[in-house]
Amino acid sequence: MIDLVAVQKGTYHDSARLMLIARDLGSLPGISEAVVMMGTDANRELLHSAGFAGGELDSATPLDLVIALRGESREAVESARARLDTALSGAAKRTGPATAARPRLREALKEHPTANLVSIAVPGAYAAYLSHQALDAGRNVFLFSDNVPLSDEIALKEKAREMGLLLMGPDCGTALIGGTGLGFANRVMHGPIGLVGASGTGIQELSSLLDELGVGISHAIGTGSRDLKKIVGGIMSEMGLRLLADDEATKVIALVAKSPDPEVASRLHTVMTGLGKPVVVRYLGQAAPPSEPGSGDATGVFYTGSLDEAAQTAVALWRGESVPEPPSYAGSPVAGLSNGVVVGLFGGGSLAAEAALFLGQAGLPARFPDRPIRPGDPLPPGTHLVIDTGDDFYTLGKPHPMVDQTVRCDLIKKIGSDPSVRLLLLDLVLGDGAHPDPAHEISAAFSEAQNARPQSPLLGVCTICGTKADPQDPFHQQELLEANGMTVERSVRRAALRAAALYGASLPGGLA
Amino acid sequence: MRGAASLLTSPLEVIHLGIDSVAEAPRHGGAPVISAEFLPPAGGDAARVAALTRLSTGPLSREIDAANQRALSRFLSSRPHLAGIGIARDVIPGMADDLFLHAGPPVTWDRMCGPLRGAVVGGLLFEGRASTPEEAERKAAAGEIRFEPCHHHQTVGPMAGLVTPSMPVFIIEDLGDERRGARTFCTLNEGLGKVLRYGAFSGEVLARLGYMASDLAPVLSAALKARGPIDLRLLVAQALQMGDEGHNRNRAGTSLLLRELAPAVVRSCPDKERAASALEFIHRNDHFFLNLSMPMAKCMLMAAEGESLSSMVTVMARNGTDFGIQLSALPGRWFTGPAQFVKGLYFPGFSEGDANPDIGDSAITETAGIGGFAMAAAPAIVQFVGGSAEDALETTRRMGHITIGPNPAWAIPSTGFSGTPTGIDVRLVAERNLLPTINTGIAHRNPGVGQVGAGLVNPPWSSFHDALLALDSHIAKNR
Repeated sequence: MIDLVAVQKGTYHDSARLMLIARDLGSLPGISEAVVMMGTDANRELLHSAGFAGGELDSATPLDLVIALRGESREAVESARARLDTALSGAAKRTGPATAARPRLREALKEHPTANLVSIAVPGAYAAYLSHQALDAGRNVFLFSDNVPLSDEIALKEKAREMGLLLMGPDCGTALIGGTGLGFANRVMHGPIGLVGASGTGIQELSSLLDELGVGISHAIGTGSRDLKKIVGGIMSEMGLRLLADDEATKVIALVAKSPDPEVASRLHTVMTGLGKPVVVRYLGQAAPPSEPGSGDATGVFYTGSLDEAAQTAVALWRGESVPEPPSYAGSPVAGLSNGVVVGLFGGGSLAAEAALFLGQAGLPARFPDRPIRPGDPLPPGTHLVIDTGDDFYTLGKPHPMVDQTVRCDLIKKIGSDPSVRLLLLDLVLGDGAHPDPAHEISAAFSEAQNARPQSPLLGVCTICGTKADPQDPFHQQELLEANGMTVERSVRRAALRAAALYGASLPGGLA
Repeated sequence: MRGAASLLTSPLEVIHLGIDSVAEAPRHGGAPVISAEFLPPAGGDAARVAALTRLSTGPLSREIDAANQRALSRFLSSRPHLAGIGIARDVIPGMADDLFLHAGPPVTWDRMCGPLRGAVVGGLLFEGRASTPEEAERKAAAGEIRFEPCHHHQTVGPMAGLVTPSMPVFIIEDLGDERRGARTFCTLNEGLGKVLRYGAFSGEVLARLGYMASDLAPVLSAALKARGPIDLRLLVAQALQMGDEGHNRNRAGTSLLLRELAPAVVRSCPDKERAASALEFIHRNDHFFLNLSMPMAKCMLMAAEGESLSSMVTVMARNGTDFGIQLSALPGRWFTGPAQFVKGLYFPGFSEGDANPDIGDSAITETAGIGGFAMAAAPAIVQFVGGSAEDALETTRRMGHITIGPNPAWAIPSTGFSGTPTGIDVRLVAERNLLPTINTGIAHRNPGVGQVGAGLVNPPWSSFHDALLALDSHIAKNR
C-alpha cells in the first residue's frame, strides 16, 4: 500500500464539498482510503488513527487543506491526486492575500441592511461567533450547524430573546418563513398552520402530511434539537409559540419536539394554554397517554400520538370540525421471531424514534442497538432493531445521510442480505437540500441485498416524506422503490403498521 | 424594524454562510440570498475564537469600539511638527552615555542579527569607544554598553535604528491642543548605499556620520530656529497626493521639505558652501523624509496609547530577529514573534539567500496608516514590489478591513480621496485572518553590505494572536 500525505497551506474549502470529493476519490480503482479535510486537531487525530503520518501533517492548521490518499500503487495514488486537483480547481478560496471578492459576514451585514436573516452552516466551533455578530447587527439567525457547545447555545438564545430576535438552532435542519424554506425543507403550500419544531424531520413530516391533506403552512419556526432540554429551557420554543400566536396568518399552531424535559414540557403547557389559538402537540417517540392532563377543548392544547394524528387534528381545528378520535395505538403482539427480525434503517433521527414506537405498538418491540453497527457487523440476536444512520457515529466527517446515502446503502446491502432479517423498514426524506434522487441508490442497494438471498425473500417497506412539488418527485421515487419490490407509504406510522402487517402475514400460518 | 415579529411579515432576505445546499430552499423560494464568504476566524484555534467572541460581540465589543474611536480621535488630533534638532544625549529622555538605542523590541547582543551588530560596531567607533571593529565587538559582547529599544525612549529608527549619545536627532513636537509639547525623536537619514542603519561601519560611513553631526545638523538646526516648526502632517498629506506612501517612497516628501527649508537655510547660514552642501545632501537622498514620517507617526501613535479598552495597535517594530507589536490598552508591553523574510525584488547580484529577516522601526508608518496601507497613493513603487496598480488599490482597500477608520487628513486620489485606513484593530486582524501589509527595504544579512532589495512583508501571526489573548485576559481581570 502506498500512502500520500500532502498539506496545501492556506487553502480553505467547505467541509461538505471536501467530503463529497473524498467520497468520489475513494471510489477510484486502486484507492482504498481517501481523506480530504481541513487540518483541525480533530481531523489530524482521525488521520493519525487511520495510520497516516508525515511531518507535514503535524504542521497543518485549520486553514490548511490536508490530503491523505492510500492506494495499491503509486500510479493509482498519483491519478487520484490529479483528479483531486481538478476537482478543487476553480473552487479554491485562498486564505492568503488574493482573497476572493465575496463579502465576509461583517461587510455583508453592512452592505445589506435589509437582510433580515443570517443562515449559518459552518463548522460548529465557529458558528457561535458568527451568530453573535448577526444578533449584534439585529438580524434573526437560522443556525444549521451542529456541534455548537451547549453553553454557547444558551448564551445565544438568551441574547436573542432579550433582543426580540429568533435564533433558530443550533442543529436546526428545517424552517419555513412565510412560505420560504430554509435548510432541508419540503415545498409545501402556504396556509394557516404555524409550526414550532425542535426536530427538522418532524417539521418536514408534519408539513408534508398537512400538504397531503390540502392545508398549507404559514411559518415553521425551528428551535434546534436541544431547545427542550432542561438546561436550555425551551427558550426558542416559547418565543416561537408566542410569535405564531401574534401572527395573523397563523390560525392553528403545532409543536413538534423529541423527548422534552418534563419541567420544560409543563412550562410550555402553561404557555400554550394562554396563546388564544389552538395548539396541537406531538412529542416524537413518546406515546400520548390516553388522557393527557389538560389536553383537549378546555385548554386548547391537543396532545397527539403520531404526526398523522397531529396533522388531522390541526386541519380539523382550522376547519372548525370536531377533533377526530385518536386512532387505537395499542396492537396485539405478533408472535415469535422465528421467521426473522425487522430492521429499521433511518436517515431521519426523529422518524427513527417514531418508527420504534409504532413498531412496538404494532406488536413488534424494536430497540435501538446498544452500540453502533457497522456494515458487516453481526446483529444483536433475537430482537427487532431500529438504526439511526444520522447518529454521530455514522456522520463523523461525512454529510448527513439525507445528502450522502453511502453508509445507509452499505448497511442495507449487508444487513439485508442476512437471512435472519425478514424485513427492512426505511425512510426517504425529499425536498430542497436533500439528495436529488435518493430512491435510485436505495432501491439498487435493496435489490442487491435481495439477490444475495434467493432462498428467503427480503421484505421492504419505505416511507416517503415529501410533497408533489418537491424536486425529487415523490411519485417517481415511489415507482422506483416499488419496481424493486418495496412497499411504499407516505408517513412513518403508516409504514410501521404496514411493516408489522407484512411481517405478520409472512409468519408461518400468520395473518395480519 | 427587523425583529422576529417583522421577520414573519416582511419579505425574507438571507445572508448565507457555509454549506451551499442549505441555501437551496430559500433560493427556490425566491428570497434574495447573499452568499458571504466564511473562513475560520483567528486561524481556527478554539481559545482564540473564544477570546474573539468575547471581545468582538455583545456589549463589550461596543465598549471596545468606543475606546478605539477615542484612541483614533486622539491620534487624529495630534499635530506633530518638526521643531528642531538636538544631540541625542541632551534631548532624548533617559539617554545615557553607556546606552545605545536600537530598532524593534528588546534584544540582547547574542541574539542580534548581522546588520544590527554591524551598526553597534559602527556606533562604538563613531563614539570613540573603540578603535577597531574587533575591539568594538568585544566590548559590545562584554556588556560595556546597554541596549534598549528606541521605542522605550520616544524614539524610532529605520533598519538597525541605532541611536548613540552623540548623534544629532530630529525633535518632533506635538503642537495639538491635547498633547502640546509631547516629543518624539529620530536620527537624520544618511542616504542609500553603505550606511550605518544597514550595519555598515567603514571609514566612509563614519565620515558621513561625522559630517552630519558637525555640519548638516547645525545648519538645519539654525534654519529651523529661524523658520519655526514645520507641520509634518501637512507635508505627508501633500506627499500622498504626489506619489509617496511615506515608507518606501519619500521623494515627494523630501522635495516638499526642501522647499520649506531652503530659504531659511540660505538666510541662517553665513557660509554659502556649507548651506549648499546641506541642501545637496538632502536633495541626493530620496529617503531623507523617512526619518521625519517615522517620528511623526510615532508622535501621533503615542497620543493614542493608554486607552484602557482599546484594541488598537500603537507600535509595530522589528529588530531583525523579532517582530513586536504593542496595543493601546497595554502600553509598553511587547508581543513578539520571529521577524519574517521580505518578499520582494532584489538588486542585481543579490537574491533571497542574502536577505536578513525584516528589520527596523519604519513599520510605525503602517501602524499610522501610511506605507503599505497607503499603497494606492504610490503606484510608482508598486512595480518595485512586484504588482500592478490594481494591486496597490486592493492593498489599501484590504487594509481598510482591519483598521478602525479612515484618516480624513490624508486623502488618496486614486481611491476617490478616501482617507488612509488607520488604526489596526487586533480583533479585526484575527477575525479576517488578514495581517498588515508592510512596505520595506531588505537588508543584507551580513553587516556592512547595505540594502539588497525591497518588497512586502507581514508580521508573524503569533504577535497578533498573543496580543488578542492578552487583551482578553487583561479585560477579564480588570472588570
